[in-house]
Amino acid sequence: MANALKDSPIKAVQVEALVVMKLVNHASKTFPTVATGSIVGMESAKQPGLLEVTSCFPFPTIDAPATDSHQERDSAANIAAAAPRNKANVAYQNEMIKFLREVNVDANNVGWYTSTSMGNFINLNTVENQFFYQKEPNERAVALVHDLSRSSQGALNLRAYRLSPAFMTAYKESKFTTESLQKSGLRYQDILIELPVAIHNSHLLTSLLHQLPSDAPSEELTFPANLAALQQDPNTPEPPFFPNYDSLDLSIDPFLEKTCDLLLESIENHHTELNNHSYYQRSLAREQAKITAWQQKRKAENAARTASKQPLLPEDEWQRLFKLPQEPSRLETLLNSRQVEQYARQVDGFTAGVSSKMFAVKSNLLPGE
Amino acid sequence: MQPHPRLEFPSYPHRPAIRSTSRLSLPDDDLPHSHLEHREAVALYKPAIMTNNDAYLHLARPLGPALGQPSTAPLNVIVQPQALFAIIDHSLRRPADQERVIGTLLGTRSEDGTEVEIRNCYAVPHTENAEQVEVDMDYQKQMLALHLRANPKEVLIGWYATSSELNTFSALIQNFYGQQGDGTFPHPAVHLTVSTEPGKEPESRTYISAPIGVTAERAADSCSFIPVPHELKYGEGEKSALELISSAKDREDRTQTTFSDLEALENAVKHVLDMLERVSNYVNNVLDEEAEPSSALGQFLLNALSLAPKVDAEDIERDFNAHIQDVLVVSYLANTIRTQIDLSNRLATAALTLGTGDALSGEGGSGGGNNNREGGDNRQKGGRGGKGRQNNNRSQQAQQSQEA
Repeated sequence: MANALKDSPIKAVQVEALVVMKLVNHASKTFPTVATGSIVGMESAKQPGLLEVTSCFPFPTIDAPATDSHQERDSAANIAAAAPRNKANVAYQNEMIKFLREVNVDANNVGWYTSTSMGNFINLNTVENQFFYQKEPNERAVALVHDLSRSSQGALNLRAYRLSPAFMTAYKESKFTTESLQKSGLRYQDILIELPVAIHNSHLLTSLLHQLPSDAPSEELTFPANLAALQQDPNTPEPPFFPNYDSLDLSIDPFLEKTCDLLLESIENHHTELNNHSYYQRSLAREQAKITAWQQKRKAENAARTASKQPLLPEDEWQRLFKLPQEPSRLETLLNSRQVEQYARQVDGFTAGVSSKMFAVKSNLLPGE
Repeated sequence: MQPHPRLEFPSYPHRPAIRSTSRLSLPDDDLPHSHLEHREAVALYKPAIMTNNDAYLHLARPLGPALGQPSTAPLNVIVQPQALFAIIDHSLRRPADQERVIGTLLGTRSEDGTEVEIRNCYAVPHTENAEQVEVDMDYQKQMLALHLRANPKEVLIGWYATSSELNTFSALIQNFYGQQGDGTFPHPAVHLTVSTEPGKEPESRTYISAPIGVTAERAADSCSFIPVPHELKYGEGEKSALELISSAKDREDRTQTTFSDLEALENAVKHVLDMLERVSNYVNNVLDEEAEPSSALGQFLLNALSLAPKVDAEDIERDFNAHIQDVLVVSYLANTIRTQIDLSNRLATAALTLGTGDALSGEGGSGGGNNNREGGDNRQKGGRGGKGRQNNNRSQQAQQSQEA
């Protein structure tokens, strides 16, 4: 198993247009709840290391027994986020794949997808889900992450991730103590490996796309008689899909506000984790002080006993008497740090785009300067 | 009086009873018109039905569920691209010896049943030869159940086939999907055909069906397909996906890697510039009296130009500065926080190398500070790195005050 994990067997991900559409649809339908589903496909025969994702299907969001109870949104979101490793859903997935095989779909599960908002997806749920898929030997599992709020601002935000081998080993042993981290050299930057994503269209689809939306008519048209005629002219072409003028949108504040909120949340989490850790260190120091005191006392006692020729008392009894506190897992901190990094990168990207847009607007409105 | 004289669709018991309306030389263009006629017929003859159930002149099609037959009221069909994509995908995966494949359409229906939105679909295996057709009913039922578990709001709409041809088997399948019980009854089943011949443009058509009068034993495999208009609609959320997908349409390998926000912006700006260029070319040509002027176009352009806001230079300057500062401050803070968190992580793992967890932050701190600068962060806060963990709190406060 370790061999299979040593190198990432997948180097790139190629997603069929159908999968993108299904994923985006599912995500926007369930927003703001997280949408999760399963993806199927196979490794490319021509190009080893290229994973072709050819189809996908959503997981049932709410389990049958849970439907009758009134849930608050949080718990529903949690259920949805944990769906990929839910037992009932694994059965659902197997059944679905069995049926898909009958109609010649590439019936190999190759991972799962999830939707997110503002890149807020690096958490225990994601890691656990991906671990669930990636723990099998010879697996070819990726997580496709679609960021709904960022896609609505222009470019589609679809990314593929895998857990790094180092993280997989650590997670398998669920060892995230300071010591083990030092030994393995695992840093928060190394948790996830991002894989390049490409979109692929079939020939038929390409020819369909050339019809959509219909191009401007090629023959010469007569001029409309008046303004009303111009606006109702059926020959007026619709704006094309590509490029998307949404990326020219100038709204800034919602993005900044949301990012600040999310960053604050992350800082708070980080702070809590730090407090936990320093509490651990304080109690550790306290216990160690006690042990030292006990050892010294025992030594003095033994010295007295040697002087009076009595048998010595054992000196390692402290291990039974005192219990060292358990070090809290640093996993949460690691994930949180990775999340902050994600936000920071997002902000950088946003800043680059928006500042150029703003300079353009300014120079347009004040042409003299 | 004859019980059911059929005026529009006379029955021919001796001939195969399948025909689409288009074969009855009813061109598509006439469609709205024919619907109109149909409505008038309803208005005219409904009273007759109500007053005397036994003796009425059945002019158009059977009306409403009251008669125990599916309604064939005119309806609008909206197709989402996702369904179309899935159908095309299915046609590519058909068995080599099969010309067309079929599947089930799922979606939503408005309350009165006049608007149908096809959102989703799945493939159903079937075999077809000259004599018979076999549809895996069991598969269809189980797959429907599976789909409804994931999308409880969607209902059965009808079925699709990947060839434009309508034949006896189409009628058979159509009646299966429109039947009572498992089918779409009392609403009509929608049939969507997408031609997928290589080398030709895909063409989609939608139909509903009406039973036509033949003997009872032939009723199951005959019906008349009535073309209904359909349109392709996509939601806001799918726009960016479609953008990426269609950006690959002019490429040889038909693949396209995802692009960043900046690239998308660049593409959009370039495109807008192109269009502006075209318009200004035209205007220049008109001014040079080389192109034909059009008052409508001129008016339109004037309207567009007048949309430019009239603002004070000072206001612009002020707003611009305020906004750009907001953006930069948030970016700065985000990066500061990232650096602090990085530092904190390094300190946490570095401190314990030197024994117990106490203190030692002085040494670890300077180490962390150096690493931090090496980290390629181009902003100027590297110097603050050495001050250790409590800076987190400070940047948090700074951010709160910024937000306030």
